[in-house]
Amino acid sequence: METSIPKTSTVLKTLLRADFTTQWRNRRATILTLVVPVIILATWKVMIPHTGGPFVLSNSIVIGLIAIGLMGYSNSIARDRDKGIFQRLRVAPISAWSIMASRLTVQIAMILAVTTAVFIVGNSYDKVSLSPAGYLVTYFTAVVGGVLYLSLGQMIVGRIKNPETVNATVRLVYFLFIMGGMMGQFVDSPEVKQIVQWSPYGTVRTILAFGMEPSKWNNNASIALLVTLGYAVVCAVLGIKWFKWNTK
Amino acid sequence: MREDNILTVDDLSVSYGKFNAVQNVSFSVRRGEIFGLLGPNGAGKTSTLSAVEGLLKPQGGTILVDGNDAVAKPLHARASLGVQLQSTSFQTELYVIEVLRLYAGIYGVPMRKADLLGILREINLEDQAMKKFGELSGGQQQRVSLVIATIHNPKLVLLDEPTTGLDPQSRRQLWERIEAIRDKGHAVLITTHSMEEAESVCDRIAIIDHGRVIAIDTPQAMVDKHCNDPEVIAVSRRGRVTLEDVFIALTGKAVRG
Repeated sequence: METSIPKTSTVLKTLLRADFTTQWRNRRATILTLVVPVIILATWKVMIPHTGGPFVLSNSIVIGLIAIGLMGYSNSIARDRDKGIFQRLRVAPISAWSIMASRLTVQIAMILAVTTAVFIVGNSYDKVSLSPAGYLVTYFTAVVGGVLYLSLGQMIVGRIKNPETVNATVRLVYFLFIMGGMMGQFVDSPEVKQIVQWSPYGTVRTILAFGMEPSKWNNNASIALLVTLGYAVVCAVLGIKWFKWNTK
Repeated sequence: MREDNILTVDDLSVSYGKFNAVQNVSFSVRRGEIFGLLGPNGAGKTSTLSAVEGLLKPQGGTILVDGNDAVAKPLHARASLGVQLQSTSFQTELYVIEVLRLYAGIYGVPMRKADLLGILREINLEDQAMKKFGELSGGQQQRVSLVIATIHNPKLVLLDEPTTGLDPQSRRQLWERIEAIRDKGHAVLITTHSMEEAESVCDRIAIIDHGRVIAIDTPQAMVDKHCNDPEVIAVSRRGRVTLEDVFIALTGKAVRG
């Protein structure tokens, strides 16, 4: 005798509703995710005449994306896994991918929200505006870049089980990314600039900056896009391979 | 497989690396009965339950839930199961009514707010609907967990040490709720350390130790069968043999980790 299992659409709708509610209730963390990019927009305003608006905006978005992928996603997965929330969901007649798809959809929405916030503040405070195509391509590259940091977060939470250790690790990686980005900008060494340019920070910044001016998209930007996708695939494969649904 | 079996576990083996947690365990749970799985710490109770729930992949044996193979058709098997895990935790940011709505949805029984409040009213928690799960008392949390485990009217309810940490009043109330589930025609598989609980609510019990089932019977039949064993009499404390005496005699006096 066949037992009926719930429809995937019903399950996903229900999970999304719960996950978006959870994200909404974590407003403080969400605001903190937005604060650093906005600070960069404000403090780097003086650089716009020299570097151009897309450079400042792209750095700002990268910092926001890193915060979402590492601080937001990894920490929430580590905490819920530790509390047994995933185990409770997994004994229901739903597939594991639907649990993760719902979580990731919320993070993609956050990526779009951070990008939009940077566009708004960049336009109103830094007076940087883009063409319609620029906005569209930047949203796309922001999602691609965001996926890379989510994959990196998945890798960390896959490798480390303890939620406090995950929290400490992602903060350290976040700090390293910010410092790396700064060094690439302010340290006058071609080697350092080269390393930063092809790091997960630099490639995302490149595709974002070129995405803001699609007419200037060149071979370098295409390679950066491919490298970003490569990083994302490697991190995602390892993150999924290492991930355990419980901490025992 | 007997026609009235809702769960059939046959020759089940579960390992963690080289450690065999469950070895060739076989038992069945009939429709409309409360079946207790008893054993000391680390005996293999939770591993057995986890395999039935689909959280662990067994190394051998078969598990049939309402005729569905739990390994080959896990979603179909899980659809027939209601589960209360040992340490239940729900999304900490959600209110009780939202947690209820979430689980009703993922079990395929979407409910309106009035329906959800009605369910909470039945367990005297309507006024706690807008509280977060972590803000409820232990007894209230257990009531919510149990109602979620049965929200889709499952044929088999799995309860992993449901009364641990509850005061006597809450425990009695939970027993009544478990019996009510049985009286509605559902089967219940319960793991417990409490012999009092096993004697009070279970229709049949299995004692499991070192990953193996060492006895299956009704609580009273088990006492009757072993009451004259010298090992049982030796551990008996109050002049009459209890289920706990039989349990201690069968599983040993050594304290487990």
